[in-house]
Amino acid sequence: MSTSGADSLKPSAFIPVCTAACLLFGSTSLFFVFTCPWLAVSISPAVPPCCAVIFLFVLANFTMATFMDAGVLPIANEDEDKEEDFRAPLYKNVDVKGVQVRMKWCGSCHFYRPPRCSHCSVCDHCVEDFDHHCPWVNNCIGRRNYRYFFMFLLSLTVHITAVLTFGLLYILNHREELWELHCTVTLVVVSISGLFLIPVLGLTGFHLYLVFRGRTTNEQVTGKFQGGVNPFSRGCCKNLEYLVCSPISPKYTGRSFKKTTVHVQPPFLRPEIDRQMPLKLKDNGIQSKDVSKKVGFITLSDTSQIKPPPPLPPKPDHGLLKSHLAALDSMLTLASEQQTNSRSQERSRGSPVAGIQPGHDTSQSQASLHTNTIAGSLPLSSLTLNSRSLTLKHNSHHGNKGSNPQPGIMSATNLFPNHNSLSYDNLMSSPDLHMLSQRGGATMSCHPHFMTLASDGSLVQRPPPPHAYSPVFMGVARQSPHISSRDVPPPSAAARYDNFSKTIMASIHERRDIEERDRMLRLHGRPQPLFGVEMGIYDIPSRRSLPPDNIRQTGSRGPTPPAYGSREFLMSTGILGYGIRSSPLSSSSTSSLTRGPRTSTSPLQTSSSSSLQTKGRTSSPLLGPADRQPQPLPTFTATLPRKPSLSSAPSYATYATTKRSSLSYGSEKDSPTAGTLK
Amino acid sequence: MCLVSLPTHRLTGPSEKQRCLAPPHWLHSAALKIHNLQELRHNASLATKVFIQRDYSEGTLCRFQSKFPSELDNRIERSLLEETVKTLNSYYVEAEKIGGQSYMEGCLACATAYFVFLCMETRYEKVLKKISGYIQEQNEKIYAPRGLLLTDPLERGMRVLEISVYEDRGSSSSSPSSSSMSSACSTAR
Repeated sequence: MSTSGADSLKPSAFIPVCTAACLLFGSTSLFFVFTCPWLAVSISPAVPPCCAVIFLFVLANFTMATFMDAGVLPIANEDEDKEEDFRAPLYKNVDVKGVQVRMKWCGSCHFYRPPRCSHCSVCDHCVEDFDHHCPWVNNCIGRRNYRYFFMFLLSLTVHITAVLTFGLLYILNHREELWELHCTVTLVVVSISGLFLIPVLGLTGFHLYLVFRGRTTNEQVTGKFQGGVNPFSRGCCKNLEYLVCSPISPKYTGRSFKKTTVHVQPPFLRPEIDRQMPLKLKDNGIQSKDVSKKVGFITLSDTSQIKPPPPLPPKPDHGLLKSHLAALDSMLTLASEQQTNSRSQERSRGSPVAGIQPGHDTSQSQASLHTNTIAGSLPLSSLTLNSRSLTLKHNSHHGNKGSNPQPGIMSATNLFPNHNSLSYDNLMSSPDLHMLSQRGGATMSCHPHFMTLASDGSLVQRPPPPHAYSPVFMGVARQSPHISSRDVPPPSAAARYDNFSKTIMASIHERRDIEERDRMLRLHGRPQPLFGVEMGIYDIPSRRSLPPDNIRQTGSRGPTPPAYGSREFLMSTGILGYGIRSSPLSSSSTSSLTRGPRTSTSPLQTSSSSSLQTKGRTSSPLLGPADRQPQPLPTFTATLPRKPSLSSAPSYATYATTKRSSLSYGSEKDSPTAGTLK
Repeated sequence: MCLVSLPTHRLTGPSEKQRCLAPPHWLHSAALKIHNLQELRHNASLATKVFIQRDYSEGTLCRFQSKFPSELDNRIERSLLEETVKTLNSYYVEAEKIGGQSYMEGCLACATAYFVFLCMETRYEKVLKKISGYIQEQNEKIYAPRGLLLTDPLERGMRVLEISVYEDRGSSSSSPSSSSMSSACSTAR
């Protein structure tokens, strides 16, 4: 309760309550000593006991009103604060029984004050159903102790009235002995009683009126429901009933919560997100059970990630497969690095940890990362199968391979980590080449377009991939045309394939790829996951560096998917990826705030808590825009270290990353200031 | 079975014609690390917190919104969370009910000059204990297996229902592949 700024602890705050207590005790004691004996004799022996009971009641209510917690709301954790704080409006409207009630942001307590809640500047805390701060009891009057305060007033009125009446009776019967001790004392007591009866009676009547109207003192004084409907009023009688008979709400502060540990240990269950995913898995019965558990989000991420990349050149050789494997491994690790780096940066943490992200994105990212390392052959092979099925549909004269393609595909999938399009392409291409080298025509039907392109590549004599690619991919890329040129497709298959116009086949397969891409996107129906965004980023430079799809027919870019994966990926995810990634990742707030700029006057407006301006909230909005200026992602990491230096907030590189980064700075107590690094 | 481990087998395959770019040494160690996947203990770290706000549409009675937060879309089934919130709301309704028992408590308190509060637990407190037990049970049965944890609203002043979302931090595989990979990558760097 008490902070350094709480005025209720100042010595001067105790004067009224001490005065009131002294007057109450003193006067009543004198009354009982000097007046009551005569009253018991002259009027009735029941008078003193009744007066005693009333006085006991007064005392009890006085004690409860003084020492009972009024319904103090504890200060919000910074975790809760973070999503509220950043660019949040000062007021939030809620609908209470059809009436719009404004909830104001409390700058000291870091939450939107519930309806009827107000911040007591004397005690420096928010009180539920805040009535007023009573100096005579040196306590806030709120939800929990309002009835005791009201009862105190009532009983005090009765008590004062009784004392006054009986005192006057005594004096009137002892007019001749006015200057005797008994009379003098009684006279003094009567005077004090008479003096305090008027204000106490007035206050009691005022609160009786408030109870009947269902208002608090705060609402009455501020005129909240003056002209309108009070949604909190239940009617005259029900208000009285609520006042007297409602259960006492619990104390929120100073409770000892018994901490029972609940162990949260991965792996975590996930709801079945996409029903289609398991179907794909079932297609490939080769998959081990180990992966089946992770199927849900593996496949999800995979399929969402795998926007159909441009087809890879065929890779016919084992040797080539090995080199491709090595290349892919390198790319995989690099990609993982990039992903973890980017993700960690998004979380405003330097250390790559896969933990702190909003669940939605986390699952995506986790899945994406997961797919990199886990035997994601299942989804890839399923994807391959799907794409193959697409191709198979169109190549009627190519019969089903049966099980033959599967091993090839499986081997391909096992060989190549499912690194997005590259692995996809490898899946598509390597089985082709593998099978082509082994068997022949049947395999052609698997990925005829690859063959087409390969043959196109070989025919068109594609230029070698750019040197800017990583050595791995340079090798791979260079190998692909090599391979394609060296590759000797089975004459039957080639002959069969050459029957179609190569450009026509390429265009057909492009359209199929696009269709499949759309299908994948529709299946998931969500914005690009984190990894998917990376894929988008992946795509973006590839679209720039690679010719558009319509040019693919010429086969000029057919064999360059490794390059597509290598340099562009590295560069893009390293630099551009962040900027692009952040935008689609705007996470929705659970508080459904209408996000608007919090005015700089908001800290000032929380004047009731003016003593706590130092909590740091005030400075943050001002700092925010300044910090926000150097946005671009290369400075992303640069801004991150600055965050701790700021008094409060975790750095929010973008609003989208607010929630993700918030927990990384959860340790900062004062922190979350609005939008410091936005 | 980790994909990363498989290449090591493949690399020993035939046809050395092509320039074999062996993966860095750390990749092997990462693969080995991931091989021991089953033995490694999973660790969870707090990822984020989702807050279910109070529903003030019926006044200041304690009620929580039954709107499903979108952040939990892929973490828990809607029906489970809605059921939990509904049950909690019903508990709060029961706690705040003005009826026979609350009358008796009030009269008794008045009669004993509120000394009864020193000896007896109010009905609200009893229901709060029930709520606490319910939340504990829900956490153990439903939420913790999904990497979520409910926090008793009482700890937050009955303003929000806080749901902590945990992620697999991972000294081991799956999504911790990121951490294991990242750690491997960082060492490589």
